[in-house]
Amino acid sequence: MKIMPCPLNGPRPIQEFTCGGEVVATPNPDRADAETWADYLFLHHNAAGIVREWWYHVPTSFWFIADRNTVTDEIVRTFLPRELFRPDAQRDQP
Amino acid sequence: MTEPRSPIDDAVRAAGAVVGEHAGVTAVTDYGDPEAEIAASRRLGLADLSPLARVGFRGPGAREWLAARGVELPDEPNRARVQPDGSIAIARSWTEALVLGALRGADSVCDRLEAGAADGHRVRAYSLPRFDGMFWFALTGASAVDCLAKLCGVDMRESAFPVGSVAQTSLARLNAVIVRVDLGDMPVFHLLGDSASAEYAWASLLDAMQEFDGRPVGLRALHALAREFE
Amino acid sequence: MMRERLPPPAGSRIDRSRPVRFEFEGRAYTGYAGDTIASALAANGVWCLSRSFKLHRPRGSFGFAGDEAGSLVQLDTEPNVQADARAIEPGMRVHAQNTVGGLEKDWASLLERFERFLPVGFYYKAFHKPRGVWNWWEKIIRRTAGLGRVDQSWTPEYFDKAYAHCDIAVIGGGAAGLAAAAACGAEGLDVLLVEREPELGGWLTYGRMDSDDGVLDDLRRRIQALPSVRVMTSATCTGWFADNWLAVTQGNRLHKIRANAVIACTGGTSQPAVFRNNDLPGIVSAAAVQRLIRHYGVRPGLRAVVLTAGDEGYAAALDLAEHGTDVAAVVDCRPDPPTGPMAAEAEARGHRILPGHTVREARRDPQRLQVGGVLATRVTGRGACAADGETIDCDLLVIAAGVAPAGGLLAQAGAKFRPIGRSAVPRLESLPAHANAAGVVAGAATVEVALAQAEQAGLAAAADLSGSAADASANSARPDADESSATWPVFPHPDGHEFVDLDEDVTVREIEDALAEGYDDIELLKRYSTVGMGPSQGRLSAIATAAVTAAARDTTSAEVGATTNRPPAVPTRFGLFAGRGFQPVRHTPMHGWHVEASAQMMTAGLWMRPAYYGRPDERADAIADEVLTVRRAVGLIDVSTLGGFEIRGPDALEFLERAYTPSFRRLRVGRTRYALLTDEQGVVVDDGVAAKLGPDHYYVTASTSGAEQLYPLLLWYQAQWQLDVDIADVTSAYGAINIAGPRARHVLETLGTDIALSPEACPYLAARTGKLAGVDVRLLRIGFVGELGYEIHPPASQSLGVWEALIDAGREYGIRPFGVEAQRVLRLEKGHVIVTQDTDGLTHPHEVDLGWALGRRKSFFVGKRSIEVLREKGLSRRLVGYAVPDRRATVPDEGHLVVRDGEITGRVTSSAWSPVLDQAIGLAYVAPDQAAVGSAITIKAAGGRLVEAEVARLPFYDPENLRQAM
Repeated sequence: MKIMPCPLNGPRPIQEFTCGGEVVATPNPDRADAETWADYLFLHHNAAGIVREWWYHVPTSFWFIADRNTVTDEIVRTFLPRELFRPDAQRDQP
Repeated sequence: MTEPRSPIDDAVRAAGAVVGEHAGVTAVTDYGDPEAEIAASRRLGLADLSPLARVGFRGPGAREWLAARGVELPDEPNRARVQPDGSIAIARSWTEALVLGALRGADSVCDRLEAGAADGHRVRAYSLPRFDGMFWFALTGASAVDCLAKLCGVDMRESAFPVGSVAQTSLARLNAVIVRVDLGDMPVFHLLGDSASAEYAWASLLDAMQEFDGRPVGLRALHALAREFE
Repeated sequence: MMRERLPPPAGSRIDRSRPVRFEFEGRAYTGYAGDTIASALAANGVWCLSRSFKLHRPRGSFGFAGDEAGSLVQLDTEPNVQADARAIEPGMRVHAQNTVGGLEKDWASLLERFERFLPVGFYYKAFHKPRGVWNWWEKIIRRTAGLGRVDQSWTPEYFDKAYAHCDIAVIGGGAAGLAAAAACGAEGLDVLLVEREPELGGWLTYGRMDSDDGVLDDLRRRIQALPSVRVMTSATCTGWFADNWLAVTQGNRLHKIRANAVIACTGGTSQPAVFRNNDLPGIVSAAAVQRLIRHYGVRPGLRAVVLTAGDEGYAAALDLAEHGTDVAAVVDCRPDPPTGPMAAEAEARGHRILPGHTVREARRDPQRLQVGGVLATRVTGRGACAADGETIDCDLLVIAAGVAPAGGLLAQAGAKFRPIGRSAVPRLESLPAHANAAGVVAGAATVEVALAQAEQAGLAAAADLSGSAADASANSARPDADESSATWPVFPHPDGHEFVDLDEDVTVREIEDALAEGYDDIELLKRYSTVGMGPSQGRLSAIATAAVTAAARDTTSAEVGATTNRPPAVPTRFGLFAGRGFQPVRHTPMHGWHVEASAQMMTAGLWMRPAYYGRPDERADAIADEVLTVRRAVGLIDVSTLGGFEIRGPDALEFLERAYTPSFRRLRVGRTRYALLTDEQGVVVDDGVAAKLGPDHYYVTASTSGAEQLYPLLLWYQAQWQLDVDIADVTSAYGAINIAGPRARHVLETLGTDIALSPEACPYLAARTGKLAGVDVRLLRIGFVGELGYEIHPPASQSLGVWEALIDAGREYGIRPFGVEAQRVLRLEKGHVIVTQDTDGLTHPHEVDLGWALGRRKSFFVGKRSIEVLREKGLSRRLVGYAVPDRRATVPDEGHLVVRDGEITGRVTSSAWSPVLDQAIGLAYVAPDQAAVGSAITIKAAGGRLVEAEVARLPFYDPENLRQAM
């Protein structure tokens, strides 16, 4: 079984994790046209090569992001979501 | 009637547990043969420590807030540090702590921390109800490593998992926190997991212990061993 | 009766002081402790162990190494036991497999005469026409085919699994494996050495050496002296998975081994030659002969013929001659004169050698189920030999066609092999990362080369682990240049029965026919002809298959390629895969109480919940009684299984606003609000109640089935939103008790609480904290069942105490516990939707009349955009309540269809007999134009009966909602 290097727990058997799918940018739900929105919801890139994915370590309820090569199944890098996501202040503030 | 109750109360009583009070904690003192339980603990013993105090805190302010209350949390996640009073402070992540009360019971640290929970909330150190949410067992003795190897995929040998190590992993397919803090030269693994699955975990452990001639042990045996090592 | 064994040192594995009596096919035999079933039978002159899978031909072991179907036998309670690997035990009763009426007189062997009706690919061709004929064939096939028989009265054995970790795992404890383990151990590495056989040494324990220079003793001593080398014997590595995860079986345990690096020293497999009747019992490999002599002290035969394509046939001939077997001839199928030290010695000792000859066919002993002689003829070309030659009588035919690297495990891990030279024996070409190989599997032909390779592999692995990047070429010492000058010995015969695959009874002609039919890709060929699909998984057939295919296609074996190797590498008992079967179960704090109170427990996800209280034969009455008690007096239900989340921090409100559909901005401390959750596609995912316990503290419940998935989802949102909030799953930390019914308030007041309970102080939807029965509880005035009700959330460790206190206090009000079944009826009477029962993977809020739970003024929540899109498109269905006016009509079941003019317009999602309304009620999806109250709908119920129902106004019970607000 594969080893996943978890940023919190170190290398662990892949059975301790679940994959949350590709990291995709959410289009602005108010401004995106219907086609863009439908693409976002229903289409997946399924690219051959290095893909950025969500992974969840079940015993610690810990989400992180992994760059994984879908051709070789090599995990290139794992890191915390806050590297990519910042608190966004504009959405839904009164 | 409404005293706190271990999540495996039914199971230990069915196994002949003698439940009594020790240093303000009502727990399994023995299973009828404290002397044999001391020997068994050295070989392979399983004790229910669920009646002992424990509390969790999480949040950006947790580390600082705990430090201000004299809890020295290890700097790195997945490490445990024994406190001067015998309690164990565990860093579950950069922002989460789990404090296990001292084996000798009558713990004040956890009570004090819990009493200050509202105060912690204000500085974003949110309390987590681990006493009720998690069971707490101790697996002790020379065969503990081999026994855990039947239930858990993390290398528990001392070379890979020395005293003070913490693994948050899967134990018999159950999410669990495994902490190694020995009693003198006797290996002790503290096992914590979902209290609702405590009976399942207890039964799974006893099943895995069979081939090593392991058995459940009471607090009296552990206290005796602790005195021996003092 | 037992034949005399050879004197020591032959027979190293048997204990002559401990005879073991056992039975084979009802006849008594005696062997010695340490014998395998097959060696003990061979010692008694019995070679035939079973009948073949397809044609029921007599078969025995070829290699005596536990590799083939030919040696599969049946024990009383265990089928498919490898007779040449399983030790005999006193009183063991062994039976041949795959026979109808016994090994000697198997009537199914008549099948052979119908062989032409069993062409290649017969699985795909026959039995299907004319229509219905399969039903007849199936019975016949099930009786004659298949392997062992399962004992239905069997009691399960204890199987389990264990993890192990090491720096280096060495697979195979022969010369190379021992040397590699010693080299790594000397570097201080933590080494695990895995050996399939009961003792270390491999070929060194049975092979014929030029001189006994103590190599084995020396290696064993080195290993023993190294404390960091752990040795597992009788342990088989069956799988080599990603990141060096090895599956190793030993006894009833599956070891899951994680190694930082692996060195494969898996050796080789002696191959059969292909000629007519090459499957007769008594035709064995050169290695088998040497094992029988040195391990078991068995004199394999009285008169032997050896067919060889290399030096090892001569070694076997010398061993046989020295141990009292007359060697009639060594038939060497190489065209050139034999070379090599063993050949020279054999020649010097005057053995009769027939160079450039082969065995054209083997002939059966007319009296016994075994070989009785051979026809040896001159080789005339690639795969061709003369029809006439010399007939030689013998009771043993030894085959030394060549040794194939046992590369199955390495190939699983990603190593590449490539057939080379005229013999087309595969050679290791490349290795995956953190893997190495040494010995025969890496092409070594001599012990010296194997040891040198092993030393180098050990050092390379040590360097790899220490991070000093070893030169890739140092991965493995180059193998010997030694190459056979002969092509692979495959000699088709005009009368057939030259078996390429003995497991599956596949002959040369069948492979040629399959190729002619167009199955010329090696993977297709395998599946169509079944070659390589038996227990030996191509270990004894791949080279010959490639050779036959290459000849037919006029190409090379390298071009033909090899099939994919997959785990398990050897047949493995299902019990080993199953292990202990860990299945976590969750119990509420009141679990023991429910069981005591004779609750019938049901599973709800991982949880156990009371379905109802009472005997199964009282089910309907028990449920009705529980329902009526809640409606008329007071009942209580354990709802500890509800999910519970603490949402705390300055952004707690902001988080709820985004994650849930309603708005919580106007929710005051001490109040609750329905919390609906949709996903990004606008589909209803879960619902619960959010209670505001403090200015930035919410306690949110989730459904029993949804909580486990919901927590990761909420954390995933937070991972993206990065709000200043903490989300904690406290499901197990709190028990939960719903007390409901007109007398609920009385019970709480009787019990004693510091929470003011009057309707004014604690109105519907209030949330309070306080003491109840001396316990700090959270009290939510909500309810699912439509009566005055309170959800009490005490700490888990004190929940049982509160539950028992409520039961005591409620006795005077006629309280009784109710289960999930009664709750389903009660909530259905109130028209409440259960997410995942009344919703599916497409349900959006407007379809189930939950539009009111969408925060209209919110600029964002997960699912908002999609719900708007769906709403604009118009509804395609709606969930409605219905009642069946005819009280004698069949009560529809969940899943029954709503039909109109022969078309399906919807389905029933909830259905029950309402004891209060005294009629069948339910929820169903219907077409939007059927959704108006009063519309008639037709439900196709059990047995196709059409039930007329009427769309009803929800809730069915207490439409003004007066009772829950009491």
